[in-house]
Amino acid sequence: MAHVREVTIWARGVTQDKEGRDVSQIIAQGADREGKFTQAFDDYEDLPDRVGVPVRKYSRVSDEEIVMRYDYENENPEAVIVMDESIVKGIDILRHMTQKGILVVNTRRPAADILKFIPNKDLLDKIVCVDANEIAAGATTVDFSGSEGGIDATTLGAGISAPLVGAAIKATGMVELDNILSVVVNKDALQRGYDEAVIAPVN
Amino acid sequence: MSFIVPEERKVAQGVVIPSPVGENTDMITSNWRSQRPYMKDLDKCDMCRNCYIFCPDGCWTVDEENEVVIWNAKYCKGCLVCVTECTEKALDVADELDFEDGVVRLEKSF
Repeated sequence: MAHVREVTIWARGVTQDKEGRDVSQIIAQGADREGKFTQAFDDYEDLPDRVGVPVRKYSRVSDEEIVMRYDYENENPEAVIVMDESIVKGIDILRHMTQKGILVVNTRRPAADILKFIPNKDLLDKIVCVDANEIAAGATTVDFSGSEGGIDATTLGAGISAPLVGAAIKATGMVELDNILSVVVNKDALQRGYDEAVIAPVN
Repeated sequence: MSFIVPEERKVAQGVVIPSPVGENTDMITSNWRSQRPYMKDLDKCDMCRNCYIFCPDGCWTVDEENEVVIWNAKYCKGCLVCVTECTEKALDVADELDFEDGVVRLEKSF
């Protein structure tokens, strides 16, 4: 069975729901252009979300057909993207991570300030900090239609999702930047997120 | 037909149950908030009790003896209505990560 590369996204319910969904969709659609097998979907258990609740979104990218496509939770994420820095304080964001993984956080703080709130930071290989709120001027698109795994017909990556994806693919190298750029609306924010992401090793 | 109701689940005739006093530990919601209210200037507070009245989750209690309002960090969802309603601007907003504690780590989102 081919190795499936998994990304888990944590966002705040309702206010960042669409942006979080965008991140998972952008990664999947970008990889789709490279001929990979992909998935992007919301966590069923976290829905219906309420304002501010930590919710999860998932992406999967694989060179071969994804056998575990009906598993509704990522069992071994190699990267975790946190859309709001304060989520790290209240919940175990690194759950199910077994190999040395990557954490991408939307924050204006240095990595050390984030790491002190993560008791299981030994699981991490590196942490990526990017100030997506500043790059995208705090823009969050809100869309209450919900996708539940379907393809989002509205614009992708108009707000803070674009710089966060830029930072994530810089650290993981899962998808080529050009393929991501062709999916995203705010290409400038994506490029800035890619350029300005600060990657720091953990331990 | 008869039902067997466990002793601890029995309620009085007419379904009159005592109103909940205290905290519901099954519904801790502190990890919902990204910002929190805090008492910036205690001298400005004139005990108007607006925070206590407007809080939808009952997170503010009034300490009559010491003439202060006390914030419950465990249940505040960070809606910040108390800051909006504070007439004397004694309350202010701060980022959650500026503080070391106050958020209860939970297994599930809610």
